[in-house]
Amino acid sequence: MAIKVDYVIRETGSNIFRNFTITLASVLTVMVSLFLVGFSFMLGQGVENATRRWQGGIEFIVFLNPNATQDQVQSVDRDLKESPEIEKVTFVDQNAAYEEFKQLFAGQQDLLESVTPDVLPPSYRVVPRQKDAQSVEALSVQFRNKAGVKEVVSATETIRLVQQLSSRLTLGIVFVSGFLLLAAFLLILNTIRMAIYARRREIEVMKLVGATNWFIRVPFMVEGLVQGVIGALLAIAGLLLFKPFFEQWLPPADQFPLFSGFVPASSQLLGTYFLLGVTGMVVGAIGAGIAVTRFLDV
Amino acid sequence: MIKLEDVSKVYKGDVVALRNASVEIGKGEFVFLVGASGSGKSTFIRLLNKEEDPTGGHIFVAGKDIGDLSAWKVPFLRRNIGCVFQDFKLLSNKTVAENVAFALEVIGRPRHVVQTQVPAILDLVGLGAKADNFPNELSGGEQQRVSIARAFVNRPLILLADEPTGNLDPATSVGIMRLLDRINKTGTTVVMATHDRGIVDTMRRRVIELDRGEIIRDQARGVYE
Repeated sequence: MAIKVDYVIRETGSNIFRNFTITLASVLTVMVSLFLVGFSFMLGQGVENATRRWQGGIEFIVFLNPNATQDQVQSVDRDLKESPEIEKVTFVDQNAAYEEFKQLFAGQQDLLESVTPDVLPPSYRVVPRQKDAQSVEALSVQFRNKAGVKEVVSATETIRLVQQLSSRLTLGIVFVSGFLLLAAFLLILNTIRMAIYARRREIEVMKLVGATNWFIRVPFMVEGLVQGVIGALLAIAGLLLFKPFFEQWLPPADQFPLFSGFVPASSQLLGTYFLLGVTGMVVGAIGAGIAVTRFLDV
Repeated sequence: MIKLEDVSKVYKGDVVALRNASVEIGKGEFVFLVGASGSGKSTFIRLLNKEEDPTGGHIFVAGKDIGDLSAWKVPFLRRNIGCVFQDFKLLSNKTVAENVAFALEVIGRPRHVVQTQVPAILDLVGLGAKADNFPNELSGGEQQRVSIARAFVNRPLILLADEPTGNLDPATSVGIMRLLDRINKTGTTVVMATHDRGIVDTMRRRVIELDRGEIIRDQARGVYE
């Protein structure tokens, strides 16, 4: 049997306006739940951004022997510059190293006086292409054994730590989002069930005069879908409004570089917004479908 | 039209509502179901409508065993069966005309059918002038007429009535019975559960008496007891 479109539109429209408070409750439930889910996604994206940015600054340092021969230095230089696994190499000569040394130990006069530029090793600051701990480790081993190289220092342990932290944070956020989604679904289910309970007599009559279950269900599902979509749109609007405040609350990026890029760009959140919209739709429609099924068993 | 073969219905806790009932009701018959409260009259009616399933035996409606009917076909069975209740079951937020139209809309009848059928049936039950009133603006008798109009607007083969005059005074009841009689004369089989001795004794139709779930009397042109 064909379900007539004008019937569905009329029923849905009149139901939404007739039970305005309950409709409002459903919409607000969807909105708050999806806002929280969206916010947790935003945090997740932020953690990912911060990790990526931090890893972008990863480098390892190849210290040369201060008394390495010209040939040895050139060989290391050539290898570094020609290696396909290396993104960027900067040479820090002895004078530049001394300047850095002075900055690092400013105020410690004794130490500064005992050091002259010629005892400091010149070094290469190397930015590898692959920033994960294993690749960095492999690269540094490669250069550690070359003639003229004094030492290779890399931050593999730190990288490992940050990677672990980031993946755990992401996992945690996925869990929290999942629970929030589940809670949202149950809340919506309950609200819709309440709305349907108020109309159980109508359903009873429909059953008695021979309406098919789908005929009864579809207007309710369309109603749930409309509520879900409105709720999701409000949640997205809320996130868009909330984002600038969130940015302000975070410590300024120049003081805490870790937080730079922590608030994702709007373009990065398009996927999240899309997901929220779809979730609102699906949760609303399916929730209503499930909720009404309980009353169909006459 | 309706045939019960050795039908039993036992509710939870061994409450027997119907025990080995076998009965046959022909097309166009008018049958009263009588008996004390709890004798199984309502269960009899609910079984015919497949609101409940028997715990034993077979029920045939229009030649089909409704026990074999899959759940999705039940609505189509009910389109052949009109139902009238003691408490009318009208929707209070819809007008008289909308209540009747609702029965046609939810089974997907096209609008022009709804627009011609509803006024016609309201005239038949004598409520043409009250089409735009709401149920709570009507008397009990008028409300029952609306519910009969709703049950009959789809021209069902069978009309089931569970104490349709239970809430009405004797004078109003007579009007309702006249209406049911008219519907019966169009060829619709009517099965009516009732406590109303006066009605049964005046109409002199087939009487099936139930006592604690058993059919103890089946009498053509019968009386209440």
